[in-house]
Amino acid sequence: MATSVLIVDDHPSFRASARMLLESEGFDVVGEAEDGEGALVAVRELKPDVVLLDVQLPDIDGPEVAARLAAANGLCPAVVLTSSRDLHDLGAIGGVRGFIPKSELSGAALEALL
Amino acid sequence: MTSLGRALWALAAAGFAMGLAALALILTNDELEAAAAWGAGTLVVGWSFVGVGLFAWARRPDNRVGMLMAGTGFAWLLAAFSFSDVPLIFTVGQIFGSLFFAVVMHLLLAFPSGRLQSRLERRLVLAAYLLTTVVIAPMWLFADAEALHCDSCPENVLLVEPNEQLVTTVTSALNIVGVGLVVTVLVILVRRWRQANAGQRRLLVPVYSAGAAVMLLLSVTVVLQASGADTWTLDVFWIASMVPFALVPYMFLVTLVRARMIQTGAVGQLIARVNEAPRRGELRDELARALGDPSIELLYWLPDGERFVDSRGHDVKLPAPGSGRGVTRIERDGELVAALVHDALSFDRELDALGAAAGMAIENERLDAELRAKVAELRDSRSRMLRVGLEERRRLERDLHDGAQQRLVSMALNMRLARDRMRDDPDAAERILDGAGAELDAALEELRELARGIHPAVLSDRGLDAALETLARRAPLPVELNRESYERLPESIELAAYFVVSEALTNVAKYADASHAQVNVARRNGKLLVEVTDDGVGGADPDNGTGLRGLADRLAVIEGRLEVDSSPGAGTTIRARIPCG
Repeated sequence: MATSVLIVDDHPSFRASARMLLESEGFDVVGEAEDGEGALVAVRELKPDVVLLDVQLPDIDGPEVAARLAAANGLCPAVVLTSSRDLHDLGAIGGVRGFIPKSELSGAALEALL
Repeated sequence: MTSLGRALWALAAAGFAMGLAALALILTNDELEAAAAWGAGTLVVGWSFVGVGLFAWARRPDNRVGMLMAGTGFAWLLAAFSFSDVPLIFTVGQIFGSLFFAVVMHLLLAFPSGRLQSRLERRLVLAAYLLTTVVIAPMWLFADAEALHCDSCPENVLLVEPNEQLVTTVTSALNIVGVGLVVTVLVILVRRWRQANAGQRRLLVPVYSAGAAVMLLLSVTVVLQASGADTWTLDVFWIASMVPFALVPYMFLVTLVRARMIQTGAVGQLIARVNEAPRRGELRDELARALGDPSIELLYWLPDGERFVDSRGHDVKLPAPGSGRGVTRIERDGELVAALVHDALSFDRELDALGAAAGMAIENERLDAELRAKVAELRDSRSRMLRVGLEERRRLERDLHDGAQQRLVSMALNMRLARDRMRDDPDAAERILDGAGAELDAALEELRELARGIHPAVLSDRGLDAALETLARRAPLPVELNRESYERLPESIELAAYFVVSEALTNVAKYADASHAQVNVARRNGKLLVEVTDDGVGGADPDNGTGLRGLADRLAVIEGRLEVDSSPGAGTTIRARIPCG
């Protein structure tokens, strides 16, 4: 069965491109969210295998969303952070599978972290 | 002669005539014992109050003490009308016989500023006026000779039905309330005395002591009257009360003369001391010492900013009229240089002399204060400039990150996707590449927009006119551009003007729902006046919204000012005044 993915990002153009790219590489994109609260709701409803989570979101930031997901019982998707900033600018972030720079997103890159 | 002068002379004539009338009434009263003593006492008290009051009124028309003093004199003379044998005059004199009591109370509480200082004081005085007029008047409908304990008195013309019991009760009640009022006033005076400093006490003591003595004696008289003391004792107390009462106006004169002497001496001392070049702030201390008013403040006028500052250059507001503090402006060669804030009673002409004498020292301190204020302003504007700069960098980073960078990221993804699809599905690859091309165009346009936000190239290349034309052309609504022709201005000024118009037009497009906007640019009095007006919904709040606030900060750095007129429904006008150097 294909790996189900939730894409969380406040930029619609990135969400559209990422969906197209991942679907073409065999992933099942089950939903999108544009902010942290939306992401928490979507994870509860859709129970995706992977959450592709932007570091910077308009309400709660990506690492905080990841921490809340880790704390919630029964919800344990693999969280992968994305950012268009330099990885070194982000500092240490715990509780996630890994990090993919947005411009380097690909099915292979995602697969490597799971 | 001024109209006030004419009015005061008319009042003086009225007071003179009223005094003579009172004297005639007393002397022709057959029943009165020692009529000459009563007459002389009444006349001295009445004329003293009217005379000194009118004199003080003429000298300080803004201070009500003179008016109240003259009012006391008139009320006193009116009370003497009760000595008349003519029923109507007798009745009027009786009804208003205790009014002077209320005016004296008002005078004592309002001394020396001429204003009542608290709500309690205003209520006390109002109560006193009401008691001695409106409340007491109806009693005269029932007071006959018997009720007044005065068989030989003329007829009360208001008498409807004699009722001795009622009159006695009302009189006793009013006396009790009256004594209560007097005690409250005395408590207030004592409290005020305690709070006063040495300099203020010197001014308060003569009037307060005479005033307090008369209030006390009058209260004792009232109590004696109520307890049924004999006429002889009452007369002694009445005449004893008259002595301190007659002294009140003269004590007031002594106070004025003393204040004047203190100040005249102060001028001499100051001239000697200020020549020794006092250090910063010492001039104020010298003034406070010499004038016996430690609370005195010396404020310097900064003509540029049209504001007052203290010797450290900090902004200070003048006290509002009615605050109990007096303000004397000091001019030098017709120009305002400073203001003295002091006790309300003190100083008037003497301070002009002082201003002239200490003018040089004051001007020196003023320059010093001005310099300090300028330094503080520069420090402020430097930190504001830093803040504006930082905020702009933050905004740029955000715009770059959210705009062009995101488009380029998704382009990178799309390019990779297109490459993967190229062989299997060339049509899809072509569609993806088309989309990527559109993203690229959008990214380029956003970058251009950002670059313009950092610095519009057209402004440096072709000047403000051309830059404003570009802004007007790009705006999504018709913009009428009116500008006078002038030479090119320094770049910082042109840039500020450009951003005012740019931000204002952006706001018009976003929020105003306007059909038309107008941009006016003109030079006025060494300032560039930039005005953007629209016919939209109005209601813009300059304190709410980072755009306008940032603009105001940006202008403040170059000492410009931003005004926003935006009543709901009446369109918006954004106006900037930028000094052209």
